[in-house]
Amino acid sequence: MTSRLKVGARPNRQSLRSAVDYHLEVTLAKSADNADPEDYHLALALAIREPVIRAMNSTEERVIKSGAKQIHYLSMEFLIGRLLSNNLRNLGLYDICAVVASDMGLNLVDVLETECDPALGNGGLGRLAACFLDSLASLSYPGYGYGINYQFGLFRQTFLNGYQREQPDNWAVHGTPWHVERREQSSMIPIYGRVEGDLDGDGQYNPHWLDWSTLIGVPADIPVVGYGGRSVNFLRLYTARAPAEFDMAIFNDGDYLRAMERQVAVETVSKVLYPSDSAEAGRELRFIQEYFFVACAMRDIFRRHALAGHRIDEFGRFNAIQLNDTHPSLAVVELMRTLVDEHSMSWDSAWEVTQQTTAYTNHTLLPEALERWSAALFGRVLPRHLEIVYEINRRFLGEVALRHPGDDARLQRMSIVQDLPQKEIRMAHLAIVGSHSINGVAEMHSELVKSQLVPDFYELWPDRFNNKTNGVTPRRWLLNCNHRLAALISEALGKDWVADLSRLSKLEPLAADPAFRSAYAKVKLQNKADLAQRVRAVTGITIDPASMFDVQIKRIHEYKRQLLNALHIIHLYCRMTEDKYALPTPKTFIFSGKAAPGYALAKLIIKLINNIGRVVNADPRVNRSMRVVFYPDYKVSVAEVIVPAADLSEQISTAGYEASGTGNMKLAMNGALTIGTLDGANVEIAREVGADNIYIFGLTAAEVIERRMAGNAAGFAYDSDPHVHRILTRLTDGTFSAEDRDLFAPIARALLEQGDYYMHLSDFADYARKHEQAAQDYCDVDKWAARAILNVARSARFSSDRTIREYATEIWDLQQVI
Amino acid sequence: MLMEDLSEGGCLVVSLREKRLDAVIAASFREAMVARIDQGHRNIVLDLSQVNFMDSSGLGSVVYVLKHLGHTGRLHICGVTPGVMAVLKLTRMDRVLKTFDSRQAAIAA
Repeated sequence: MTSRLKVGARPNRQSLRSAVDYHLEVTLAKSADNADPEDYHLALALAIREPVIRAMNSTEERVIKSGAKQIHYLSMEFLIGRLLSNNLRNLGLYDICAVVASDMGLNLVDVLETECDPALGNGGLGRLAACFLDSLASLSYPGYGYGINYQFGLFRQTFLNGYQREQPDNWAVHGTPWHVERREQSSMIPIYGRVEGDLDGDGQYNPHWLDWSTLIGVPADIPVVGYGGRSVNFLRLYTARAPAEFDMAIFNDGDYLRAMERQVAVETVSKVLYPSDSAEAGRELRFIQEYFFVACAMRDIFRRHALAGHRIDEFGRFNAIQLNDTHPSLAVVELMRTLVDEHSMSWDSAWEVTQQTTAYTNHTLLPEALERWSAALFGRVLPRHLEIVYEINRRFLGEVALRHPGDDARLQRMSIVQDLPQKEIRMAHLAIVGSHSINGVAEMHSELVKSQLVPDFYELWPDRFNNKTNGVTPRRWLLNCNHRLAALISEALGKDWVADLSRLSKLEPLAADPAFRSAYAKVKLQNKADLAQRVRAVTGITIDPASMFDVQIKRIHEYKRQLLNALHIIHLYCRMTEDKYALPTPKTFIFSGKAAPGYALAKLIIKLINNIGRVVNADPRVNRSMRVVFYPDYKVSVAEVIVPAADLSEQISTAGYEASGTGNMKLAMNGALTIGTLDGANVEIAREVGADNIYIFGLTAAEVIERRMAGNAAGFAYDSDPHVHRILTRLTDGTFSAEDRDLFAPIARALLEQGDYYMHLSDFADYARKHEQAAQDYCDVDKWAARAILNVARSARFSSDRTIREYATEIWDLQQVI
Repeated sequence: MLMEDLSEGGCLVVSLREKRLDAVIAASFREAMVARIDQGHRNIVLDLSQVNFMDSSGLGSVVYVLKHLGHTGRLHICGVTPGVMAVLKLTRMDRVLKTFDSRQAAIAA
């Protein structure tokens, strides 16, 4: 294939047009007569791919030549989103491509819309990983992501009669021009088998891992373009393949079928992303997925370490590995196995290297959400690794016992191996023991990790524990998705803010400037008009851009409390239809998010919201001042349309449950005011934006625990608050479920009979009060704009650039390679 | 399955002319090697220079040969490609199976 864009020359209108024409005609075999927008998207992507790949290769050369330490970010999920528009912005080619598209009679926005989101994640965890990769590249840190190339990502969500329906999301079937397959760097990964003990020539225990089955991990790289285009790192994703191409000459009929079954079974490993919160998460395939990508990553890291000319004993000096949650915790064991078994390192030296290399990020405070694998399953799949885990644990408990002699209860609490009720391996403990750093993802969360989640470990190793508040990339989440606001900011401040978000603080005085406020309000209104158009096209619902857009966009879960929001809408509906209450300002409630397929109550909450919407939107008594929308199939590209249009951001999790949140940061960065609890990063957002520019309500984390212990909090709210009483009555009297009065009885039971674990009813009154206040405040459009501008101006802390700089300095000891 | 035999320096040098020593040929390989041992060959050099992939069945067959030779025989392996060496290291069989950089070194040892 001939390159159409000259090496080293910045693409211009002519060269870009020539490249696009070439790829359309030659690569895709299409012409202007029969090409559709998707073809133009591919042709443009292929044209841009050339300089991107060159930059990726030259970045890699620079890194290897510099011998710099590298960070390898291991994550089961990477929610990278659409790539072309992001790459165009980061390369500074967006505007010129818009001109080229126009020359071809096209609208670039329409072309970009045809790209599929690679759905390689469930939610915040995967999106955080993607933001981190963007910041690593933009800051010119040598940082690489490792994960799985799922064929089927998170399911596609549709609604049938208000119920969520899941359909396979075969995102890769359309092809992606951004995969660079590296077949020659495939890895052989063993699983199953047995260990046969032996003695070596020195009489030392010499275990042999035998009779394993083989997976081949085939990598494909996705370039990660840093802002400015100078550094392009990569995300390496692995596909599982069977070891041999099928050879028909060799097999007789019986063997043929068995071999095909084996081939299918092997390739299942990278077939499907497990939805989170699923009961299936305990299954063997998930465990194999975790080992598969960790083992592939470790092979590759060792390969690149050797390529850079470093010695094995220098592994920890030149490599940092970050475990995104406990899913890659097997990296601790795999690293030990590789050093001890394959490189004949002594146990103590290998352990020193492992701890020096590895760091762990915790994302949850729920003990039940910390991964555990049955020892039986672990040993069946990874017999040699189980031996290593037992040895790690034996030595670790020895260390603990020395410090706390006779404290058997402590040993049981801290052990990596839980014996009762059944023998399980605690992956969080493994990650902590094997890491030199353990961080939470928001100040409050990190404190609770130390004081509540793993206090024994904090007591043993206080210096290892630290905080790294999450962040989001201002490229995707402001420059790219909110180009109008980005242009307004650049006009006022210049463009340096994109690489240095602290410069946004210079917007603060402009909050007092009527002309700027007016310009901001205009931008917001235009964004809302865009969203309204899209909502109409997708759902058929008409919404008024002049209304307050009240937005809750995240995974559906009881602790995130979409239900609280829904109950409040019922409350408003009742007030308007029964109490002659008038909303101070028209409101549009916008929900979006998916429920895990096995999570019945979350799916019922979706049905409830859709039913509320159906009733509200059709009732002439309320529908001129209130609308409810559930935007289907939430994903990165949907968030990119909703975030810029939001006025009020619902961050209403039960305090003590949301480790950080990142949707809260995106929305604040785009001028939405937050209504939220003192949970996760909301605490820091409140501190940064100021108490006047946020609506905080509800029980604190400590109060939640107290209230729960006091008992019957829900009953008290139900009995003492007539509004709560009315809401619950409407929930079960058929008002929102004409087809079946008892449809939402499980929700009512969860609230009233099962203790309302997540404190919906206890927080309701304060929540409703804050909503009333926000609605009143919104009537002063000008003042609201001022407060929105202050939210934007004070959001610098929440850039993932800040987060990555902290990781690089305080955990990874990394230098930039420019 | 293709194998070539050569007598040299008091050893039987067996060259396996296959790219893969895996489940497909492991049983045949084992039988062929056992037959040679049973014919009286006790010093065997196994040349794997053509083999670039070995799975657990292939390794198992080599280990079987080693055990069949017992204490009175010797099995030296030469021509170990990186792919095969990775398997030997993974299983710590590199500490049990004697490998040599060249055929001559394997014969001479």
